[in-house]
Amino acid sequence: MSPTLSVRDLAVDYELSRAGLFRRRRMVTAVSGVSFDIAPGETLGLVGESGSGKTTVGRAILRRIPTSAGQIRFEGQDITDLAGEPLRRLRAQMQIVLQDPYTSLNPRMKVGDIVAEPLVVHGLAPSREAAREAVAALLARVGMPADAAGRYPHSFSGGQRQRIGIARALAMKPSLIVADEPVSALDVSVRAQVVNLMQDLQRDLGLSLLFIAHDLAVVRHISHRVAIMYAGRIVELAPRDAIYDRPIHPYTQALLSAVPVPSPTVQRSRRRIVHPGESVDIANPPSGCRFHPRCPLATERCRDDAPPLADRGAGHFAACWNSGA
Amino acid sequence: MSALLKIEDLAVVFDTRAGTVEALRGVSLSLGRGETLGIVGESGSGKSVTAQAVMGLIDVPGRIAGGSISWDGQALVQDGAQQHPSGIWGKEVTMVFQSPMTSLNPLMTIGAQLEEVIRKHLGLGRAAARDHAAEMLAAVGISGARRRLDQYPHEFSGGMRQRVMIAMAIACEPKLLIADEPTTALDVTIQAQILELLAGLQERLGLSIILITHDLGIVAGLCHRVAVMYAGQIVETGSVDDIFDRPAHPYTQGLIRSTPRLDEPEDRLTAIEGTPPGLLHPPEGCAFRTRCPIARDDCRAPQALRPFGAGFVACTQPGVDAWGDGK
Repeated sequence: MSPTLSVRDLAVDYELSRAGLFRRRRMVTAVSGVSFDIAPGETLGLVGESGSGKTTVGRAILRRIPTSAGQIRFEGQDITDLAGEPLRRLRAQMQIVLQDPYTSLNPRMKVGDIVAEPLVVHGLAPSREAAREAVAALLARVGMPADAAGRYPHSFSGGQRQRIGIARALAMKPSLIVADEPVSALDVSVRAQVVNLMQDLQRDLGLSLLFIAHDLAVVRHISHRVAIMYAGRIVELAPRDAIYDRPIHPYTQALLSAVPVPSPTVQRSRRRIVHPGESVDIANPPSGCRFHPRCPLATERCRDDAPPLADRGAGHFAACWNSGA
Repeated sequence: MSALLKIEDLAVVFDTRAGTVEALRGVSLSLGRGETLGIVGESGSGKSVTAQAVMGLIDVPGRIAGGSISWDGQALVQDGAQQHPSGIWGKEVTMVFQSPMTSLNPLMTIGAQLEEVIRKHLGLGRAAARDHAAEMLAAVGISGARRRLDQYPHEFSGGMRQRVMIAMAIACEPKLLIADEPTTALDVTIQAQILELLAGLQERLGLSIILITHDLGIVAGLCHRVAVMYAGQIVETGSVDDIFDRPAHPYTQGLIRSTPRLDEPEDRLTAIEGTPPGLLHPPEGCAFRTRCPIARDDCRAPQALRPFGAGFVACTQPGVDAWGDGK
């Protein structure tokens, strides 16, 4: 089956804000050389720390920001340079769910209108009655009470607002949803409800899902495959259990070992790899492999050449010159 | 272990236009010397308000409505009245907040801010304060400490700023450090560094620590004892091993179950249906009963913390496996 989404060598540059009239333009490469596929009905977890470029990748795929290199194919069609009406139509097929359920819903619109808006904008609701029915079905699908449509967002909790955001994203029957930190603003008990809902929807509707998050435990739970980003590049990509049980890249290993596990017995016996050093300054990235200043395995070669994301067998890719090669 | 900090039946309310929000509803806690206590709960459970009350930081529209807090024999709050003892807050008891970006003054050098604290509380002269400040930065793992004293907060990364906050908090050799979500704003690899730092400081300085967090993993790794809060009350306290291995309150059980685990992936998370109650009109009796799978009629009566096993639980059926699949 051909992939729903196919990304090849994606790069995104940002211009640093200029202060002063005669300052030279400075470009920052937020993301470069990013390649991956998402199959129909597959969830790809995209993980990274702040500044890793994971959000940038999500926004570039949705064509919300300009790309500076590479190709994005959606259901076989090259959408990298799509514009105008075709882009507008494409956007119906790719939806986004955002992190903050408190700011991503218009507070002045009733929930019913928020969910119906995409249907109206894309001319898919022939009548008010049809729109109302569609909204009722969507709200029921995400576990919201029937009377929610007539109320405003402020009368709902964070978890319920996130359900509303998901209902809105589902309205267009998209084949791809990009969810950018959809549960990280939610409390633990409510987070589990929303994670379960997304998992159910993904299975029942056969959605492709790009699940962007920094929480490695949630990502393990929801993803089929996982990509780890560091400083604008994918450093490892593999089926879920492979990446968690047999991480290859030293950064992935450090990242996994740093996640606290809610079990005192396990915590006491775990070996933690605490790397010195700080998150990368993306405006002044290190040469070669961007992890080399913090890496225990770094050699001369790592300083000079960036390692490619190479196939290590069984769909496990890693970008490292030294580890497990 | 003699109690250093003792909180008894503490009540804090916030007066709002809509009415009185009961943020803390009878919280009792004690903390021993050199002990690390984790306070766990979701937003609005009252964990941060508890810390603020200990620090004397409850301010309008909030007020203390009842109860007592004593520190090393001295009253901080007596029968609902705020006391103002000197030489405790900022010296013996200090606090680190979640956001290191906003808790430092952006217009003062790191050194000036550290020295200010040191001179105020330790009464050192200029030169001695500067030496001590550099020592503190080194103690929290900041290299080139002397040079960095002359830098401004924006020249530090998030993790480094949190180290500076910790340096400031331990500069006057406190006996108790309250850390309110100290790593929530940080990346996980940086979080690991900060947690390691806290554990090391505790061992070296014999500090007591109150760690406030929503992250059960952090509690499991760092704390000796845990208090679980829900809707302004403590529902369970116990040793860290008991809380995680034998949680007795249905809410504690649910909280642990609904946390996805890196090491033991499950097919489906246990979700606690519903949301925590509003505290404008808190429900009668057990606040968790509306979401509890084993709630029954007598849960409508108020539940006090009672001894159960080696800990304390506020539940009509402590120790029953509420989520019913025997795990």
